[in-house]
Amino acid sequence: MDITTELRKIVGLRLSVSPSELYCYSSDASQVKGTPDYVVRPKSTDEVSRIVKLAYENEIPVTARGAGTGLAGGAVPVRGGIVLDMSGMNRILEIDIDNIQVVVEPGIIQDALNDALIPYGFFFPPNPGSSAMCTIGGMIAYNASGMRCVKYGTTRNYVRDLEVVLADGTVIHTGSKMLKSAAGYDLTQLIIGSEGTLGIVTKAGLKIAPLPKTRKLVIASFENAEIAGQAVVKTFSNGVIPSACEILDRVSLQVLKRYDPKLVLPSEGDVLLFEVDGTENSAREAAEQIIEVCSPLALSIKLAESEKEMADIWAARKLVGAAVSRLDPTKTRIYVGEDVGVPIKKIPELLKRAQEISEKFNLHAMKYGHIGDGNLHLALFIDVLNKDEWDRLNQVADLIHRTAIELGGTVSSEHGIGAARAEYMKAQWGPAFEVMRAIKKALDPKGILNPGKLGL
Amino acid sequence: MKTVKNKEKREIKRAKELDKSEISEMKGKNQPFELDRRSVYKCVQCGTCRSVCPVFNVVGWESANTRGRMLIIKSLLEGRHPSEDVLPSLASCTTCRICAAKCPAGVNPPEVVEAARAQLVKCGITTEVQEKLRASVITSGNSFGEAKDRTHWLSETERSQLPEKSDYVYFVGCFDSYRYPEFAEKTFKVLQRFGVTLLPDEQCCASPLLRTGFREDAEKVMKRNLEQIRKVGAHTIITSCAGCYTTLKNNYPEELHVISLPEFLAEHLDELKLKKLDLTVTYHDPCHLGRHNKIYEAPRKVIQAICTLKEMKNIKENSRCCGGGGGVRIGYPDISLELARNRLEDVPECVDYIVTSCPLCVRNLRDAGGDIEVIDIVELVAMAME
Repeated sequence: MDITTELRKIVGLRLSVSPSELYCYSSDASQVKGTPDYVVRPKSTDEVSRIVKLAYENEIPVTARGAGTGLAGGAVPVRGGIVLDMSGMNRILEIDIDNIQVVVEPGIIQDALNDALIPYGFFFPPNPGSSAMCTIGGMIAYNASGMRCVKYGTTRNYVRDLEVVLADGTVIHTGSKMLKSAAGYDLTQLIIGSEGTLGIVTKAGLKIAPLPKTRKLVIASFENAEIAGQAVVKTFSNGVIPSACEILDRVSLQVLKRYDPKLVLPSEGDVLLFEVDGTENSAREAAEQIIEVCSPLALSIKLAESEKEMADIWAARKLVGAAVSRLDPTKTRIYVGEDVGVPIKKIPELLKRAQEISEKFNLHAMKYGHIGDGNLHLALFIDVLNKDEWDRLNQVADLIHRTAIELGGTVSSEHGIGAARAEYMKAQWGPAFEVMRAIKKALDPKGILNPGKLGL
Repeated sequence: MKTVKNKEKREIKRAKELDKSEISEMKGKNQPFELDRRSVYKCVQCGTCRSVCPVFNVVGWESANTRGRMLIIKSLLEGRHPSEDVLPSLASCTTCRICAAKCPAGVNPPEVVEAARAQLVKCGITTEVQEKLRASVITSGNSFGEAKDRTHWLSETERSQLPEKSDYVYFVGCFDSYRYPEFAEKTFKVLQRFGVTLLPDEQCCASPLLRTGFREDAEKVMKRNLEQIRKVGAHTIITSCAGCYTTLKNNYPEELHVISLPEFLAEHLDELKLKKLDLTVTYHDPCHLGRHNKIYEAPRKVIQAICTLKEMKNIKENSRCCGGGGGVRIGYPDISLELARNRLEDVPECVDYIVTSCPLCVRNLRDAGGDIEVIDIVELVAMAME
């Protein structure tokens, strides 16, 4: 059977086998590489189902891809086969305000969904730094989150129902518009974070939340990242739940200032950004409480003066990860070891050890992240033309991953495992990993769905 | 419950795809593909550009966005043999520069794409359309292959009275010379009072050659213009075409003082004695004037001296490309027109005209249809001088 001909029958011209096109689908934002044999851009669940069925019958790997902004190679076809570019299935099918839900296709961009919800006074809270380009399908596949997860939770907390194409092409629904259900296994939660290894999401029913009336931002600086970590622990233990709690170390600050010199940020130390939201009164009270709790530890602490000041800081914060070349044009940010997380109480220790490790290998590192949920984004940057720096980079990433596991944490808090972190799954999960293997085998006996991922 | 109406996207037909067997791997001359590696490796593949690339927005394939183009260029640098297969990606960039404006890593993709196109030319890999364009410029001195005199829009008397020496040269450009001679006439009329002259044998500014990779040919054409500019003794070159402007300013020797028509008009508003008109217009920022050269305020100042300006949805640094640049209008007309249609969606309600300051933008936006007339800024100025 000629697969190209068969695929053409399903998607017509929305199939490519051109070497240049295939090359463009052979990576994401990570260092994982793998070239597909075919790329298709389906437009409907039926097309996805027929493609997957064809792949099942012919034992061809199928890898779903959204915008390819992933940082672990999740969308990279490491065993070749078919890449399903889902970004063309990007419609909002229903905005159901009465049930506080929306139904979307997986290719919709997170910001586009939120732009459509603003007029109704609602939003879809999980907001990765890549919200301007990442798709909801990708967010579901990797249980993505972002700065506001400390208060609002991750993608997992917002999915009510999924339409999923299984390995043999069967189409199922995993939930409904119900707020709760006590009928059997929760397949919705099983699919979320499964990285396309159990099925392909073709529709999603999502819970949305009312937009807060106001947001306020407290900006505090500390002598070092460790003290900043202590301030976070203290804030939480005092009962304040910020809507975002971010750390930017001094290197990140320099990068941000280079990116936008007009940003109002402290000139020294490591910085914490606390966002609180709610009504005018509740947000003000929470901000005042944070200032009171953190002042004894801080070098400086202040409330952002305007909406614009706040918006500019958040916009820049979202881009800090990639902006390091602004500091030194010979250096490029490489996304490895970038997503570890530990219980909040262990944050000061993680920060200390991350610093020691990068110093030991003489690599520059920028530390930023969602410190409020224990998630540290360690940004390592190297001269990509220097092989020795690549070697040291990989050693640092490996040690960071092992440190997180040792501290009772995770090798990935929100970016996923993909192929980049697959080797740590066994160490992190122990015997529970065998349960994952059994589930994979039951749902995908031929192993065609995103093979080579999650260490399975 | 609300069912959402999604805008139906027009399917853009893609050039016929070559199968692996059809790709003439050996067509490329055995020339090394060389580029400044750092300018390419700065890209962290984050995909920010993917969300703003106007060509990708209508084409949908990864190879049609900036990240895809950077990846393809990277593959060529790393030893993949250049072939025609890369052209639909690398030749379809309008060089609008919105990706560079948004890139957190500070990459300048249009510059990289143009450099890559030059390497492809060196390797003998070009599209038929590119070759045709090149031949037109080389043989006739203009991008349309027109045989008639470039100053055909001047009367005999006007032509004979052109000063041989002047401080100011009005560089007309191919578009105004051959497609919009009325713009050229009006511009000349406005500038005449400042003693401008024209080059006796103006050639294409070389923008089409530079944008599509024919750097050696461009050098020759630029040299001919440059010799004439020096002979006239002008200290300032004024041009009303955004493409000519960015080329004269950034690709010609630095000694030239180049100024765009909107800047010149804004500087001389008092002398122009413009009437106020009861009009409301919107302004489209041409990419090569706006993002490439940061000329945002001058055209607005001129418009506001004449009438009411109501801004488009996306303006200045965020302005959307009309689809005309980078050789895309001639190479991929379907894509180009779809970009123009998308840009027209940004036009606010209740405006009398869409004003812009680039003839290529005028043409593309006019061709895209729409109910509101698209005019060049000089036409608005001419109305205010009547």
